[in-house]
Amino acid sequence: MSQPRRVCVTGATGFLGRRLVSRLLNEPELQVRCLLRATSDAESLLRGLPLEQQQRIEILRGELHDAAFLAEALVDCEVVYHGAAALGGSASTLFLNTVIPTRQLLTASAEAGVSRFVLVSSLGVYGTRELRRWQQVDESAPLDPQPELRDPYTFSKVRQELVAREMCAQLGLPLVVVRPGVIYGEGRSLLTSRVGLQVGPLLVRMGGRHPLPYTYVENCAEGLKLAGLVPGVDGETFNLVDDDPVTGHQLVRFLRRQGQRIRSVWVPGFCIQPLSWLYSTYAKWTEGQLPPVITPYRSAAIWKPLRYCNSYAKHKLNWVQPISTEQALERTIVG
Amino acid sequence: MTTLTKVSVPIQAARRAPQPATQQRNDRIRVAVLGCGQIADAHLSQLQRIRCADVVGVCDAHEDLAYQAAARFGVSQYTHLDALLSEARPDVVHIATPAHTHAQLAMQLLQAGCHVYVEKPFTLDVHEADAVLRVASETGLQVCVGHDQLFDPMWLRARRMVEAGAIGKVRHVESILGYPLDGKFGALVANDPNHWVRRLPGGLFQNTISHPLYRITDFLADEEPVLVGNWLRRGDFDFPTELHMALEGAEVSGSLTFSTRIPPQRITQIYGSTGTLWIDFDGQVIRRMARPRMPGAFAKLEMPLRHFTESCGNLTRNLWRFACGEIHYFAGMKNLFEAFYQSILTGSAPPVPVAEMRRVTSLMDQLFAHCRAQEKGGRA
Repeated sequence: MSQPRRVCVTGATGFLGRRLVSRLLNEPELQVRCLLRATSDAESLLRGLPLEQQQRIEILRGELHDAAFLAEALVDCEVVYHGAAALGGSASTLFLNTVIPTRQLLTASAEAGVSRFVLVSSLGVYGTRELRRWQQVDESAPLDPQPELRDPYTFSKVRQELVAREMCAQLGLPLVVVRPGVIYGEGRSLLTSRVGLQVGPLLVRMGGRHPLPYTYVENCAEGLKLAGLVPGVDGETFNLVDDDPVTGHQLVRFLRRQGQRIRSVWVPGFCIQPLSWLYSTYAKWTEGQLPPVITPYRSAAIWKPLRYCNSYAKHKLNWVQPISTEQALERTIVG
Repeated sequence: MTTLTKVSVPIQAARRAPQPATQQRNDRIRVAVLGCGQIADAHLSQLQRIRCADVVGVCDAHEDLAYQAAARFGVSQYTHLDALLSEARPDVVHIATPAHTHAQLAMQLLQAGCHVYVEKPFTLDVHEADAVLRVASETGLQVCVGHDQLFDPMWLRARRMVEAGAIGKVRHVESILGYPLDGKFGALVANDPNHWVRRLPGGLFQNTISHPLYRITDFLADEEPVLVGNWLRRGDFDFPTELHMALEGAEVSGSLTFSTRIPPQRITQIYGSTGTLWIDFDGQVIRRMARPRMPGAFAKLEMPLRHFTESCGNLTRNLWRFACGEIHYFAGMKNLFEAFYQSILTGSAPPVPVAEMRRVTSLMDQLFAHCRAQEKGGRA
């Protein structure tokens, strides 16, 4: 595949999408078409860009469930980067805003003769329950066999990936799947559910010795860009996580050194499963008085110590982490 | 992205003769949920708590939506209504689809021999309501609308207090609904210009004000109270976001405030001739307020002491309920489902009277007509 002339990006005003667009524009002579919803802020995309780059952005407004809009929007697009997805809400909201639009975009992409469809999936889709502690997780690890037992976001991402694989096979649409870790950067808290649970003002730190599968947003955008442009990777899947991952303990210490006040309690790793069982048993006994947000299944998926591997992206995409983890953490704090 | 959950598949299954209540299978009810959007989650989670109910299927035209609900709640999934009816054979179908589909689906289901539970709002207008109720009458089947907050433990308690004379004779009921547009539900409507809620005759309010309105009409005997109302747009929103309504009956008046300026809250105050009940559904708290009995400055001590005593009572009550696992956001929904199923099984009166379903729908029609007239600068 030669370098495409026009690429299309969904979710372009999102946290990752903005960086992806910026990196795509660094490729000379590449036209970047952004599909935005009516309420999305296009100014944030154009702000700070040189005039020459601004001239290579096209902004089309419409909804991904609108087949007529998609047919028009995908004309002459060689690569589609599909990053639009709902991040929160109920399972039905996430499916409605993530899975269903993906179906429509895949159909439209096949009809438009798109050469490659790049799906932004998630590292959370792996079925980690059967894996050993500290096992290395590469792209050959299976998807979660019971995603309905996970959180709604992960459930929707597993379904989205399965739908994409099935439809691309049926439609003959070349697919590349990118599975980023937890994306962080300026404007986003580093204390995610991978570190622990925020209960009011208190952070309940879960374990803390396992490496966090984080990726700095600029590093992730670079890998994502390459997944659309590098020849010969159709049908491939890539984990995108940064090198030198920090642990939960290290991250909290780092943030405290930077002057952040974090009120937390620590749950040792060996207590997580028994406490999860206790909580879920109580939630079941009370018929849902407390929501079943912590179950042994979910806990194992989030807090089991595992090593996520990024070597395939390095090997096939020639991805090199542009910004070191140390620098990325500092930038995030400053930002 | 629109949140339209469309289910408009024609029924091809053989029409079943309605079963008289006495012939229902044993004491169990086969239930199906039509439409797998957000509110369907509440239905399915509460149905799991009802011993006499067997959930036999969920149905949505979008296979992904049907799949996610079926997978999480462990039930069968359908994408065609005729398949749901012929294979799952439900006794009752809960309609949890967008409001503009309620009437047609309810009539189809009644004609197919199912009792029907309809999420609020019952129908788009009173003409649709009449048509549904007519079919229910013709088929001898029951219809219930989701006026579930009347069955919330706090409302049931408030009702008992009123009936015991705690505040004397009810004179006025004030209902407030806080519905921020950056909240969980409001954002879906605010961010999508094509959202189905925006296309309803009463817009955002049609999908939301049933709850605060029926909390007023529960104490209002008048069939046609005097009604005034107005809606307003806030900030840059291109649809009405604020609503105020006043109702004047022969003996009781009411006022309703819908605001997107305040945090989410569901509060009703019932003013009586000797005191007031303040009911907070979210906090599961009731406070009784009355004029002080002590004179002058002593009254300034008596009132805080009474509030303190009320708070202690609420805390004790909620601690006990928590310990017993009885605090559920949709507890009223479960109670209403159970009452509806009992009325089907025993042939007793439905938990929400037919006349009340019609009256609330009619009042909403009048309110929206009034608001539209105000907006155009005319008089209703």
